[in-house]
Amino acid sequence: MKNPYEVLGVPSTATAAEIQSAYRKLAKKLHPDLNPGDKAAEEKFKEVAAAHDLLGDADRRRRFDAGEIDASGAERPPRQNYYRDYAGAQAEHPYADASGYADFMDSDDIFADLLRRSQRARANHRGEDMHYRLEIAFADSIAGATRRITLPDGGTLDVKIPPGLVSGQTIRLKGKGAPGFGTGGPGDALIEVDVLPDPRFAREGDDITIELPVSLSEAVLGGRVRVPTATGAVTMAVPKGSNTGTVLRLKGKGAPRRGGGFGDQFVRLKVVLPSPADPELEAFVSGWEKGRSFNPREEG
Amino acid sequence: MAMTREEFLRSSGLKVQVLDVWIEQEWLVPEETPSGSRFREIDVARARLIGELQSGIGANEAGIDVILHLMDQLHGMRRALAALRRQMGEPEG
Repeated sequence: MKNPYEVLGVPSTATAAEIQSAYRKLAKKLHPDLNPGDKAAEEKFKEVAAAHDLLGDADRRRRFDAGEIDASGAERPPRQNYYRDYAGAQAEHPYADASGYADFMDSDDIFADLLRRSQRARANHRGEDMHYRLEIAFADSIAGATRRITLPDGGTLDVKIPPGLVSGQTIRLKGKGAPGFGTGGPGDALIEVDVLPDPRFAREGDDITIELPVSLSEAVLGGRVRVPTATGAVTMAVPKGSNTGTVLRLKGKGAPRRGGGFGDQFVRLKVVLPSPADPELEAFVSGWEKGRSFNPREEG
Repeated sequence: MAMTREEFLRSSGLKVQVLDVWIEQEWLVPEETPSGSRFREIDVARARLIGELQSGIGANEAGIDVILHLMDQLHGMRRALAALRRQMGEPEG
């Protein structure tokens, strides 16, 4: 066992302050964590630390000087691991920092490419974003709704669907993703929403188109009919003399607009004759002169 | 092996107030889970290192900040180097 005074490089008459200062100087140079690639640093540092344990403590120094204990008596138990043993390992940890070489990864050469592929350092400690899918009814996509989804771990998430959402749109729930490290905060939940088509409605932008069957008498004489909309049925006036293909507009019954307000619902009428054919109608039409001379395939 | 806050305090010998300050300074970055903070072996080793930087070497707060930052960059580079070497098909050691 080396003489602790020699290890620290101080005379045996050194003051406590001199011993402390000598130790600090050596520790700065030899601490294994300040020399992550030097395998011998640990041995050297252990010696210095042991010498400091002995001489840094006034009582033990006195006993050593008096010959009551020897240098080995102050040896500390070998310590297991330094920070470098974890930080340099391949396992993921939140302290990994790529900012010392990030600029090397910006170029196009093979070195940069290898670095990019090999670097697994997490630049920030935020949790990962979690991705989910959700199917909703067409009416909910227009009016908005709240849906609860069940997560793989058994938890649930309430998803507020904003009115006017279109299929494929993603809803971000801040902080509902995977937990993060430290102050990084959790990731987000990203919910991609599929709108199930409704055979009655077709959406184009903020407007909705619907085909509405009307009877011959409603078309010829006009009348009030019930029309389904995404937010419930409404009553609409069919003007006298309407036809198949006539488009009526229900103002403000479309999807909500981004900037406020609503699109419209367009109602395309389709005249439907009674089925099976009605003998009375047949009799009327056969005696109807004008109806026989009218040819809708001729212009004018 | 993840440790709870209490287990970490026992294992590292840190005082509660000191731990809170170190986390606040981002010297220690535990994993945050719904059931509380989780610490790993690396955090114990890092806490010991910070203690030695403080009392052994006499680094002040700003000094420790800089040392930890540079040290983590250095380890980042060492990991990148090691990974590069693996990709080039050379054995480690």
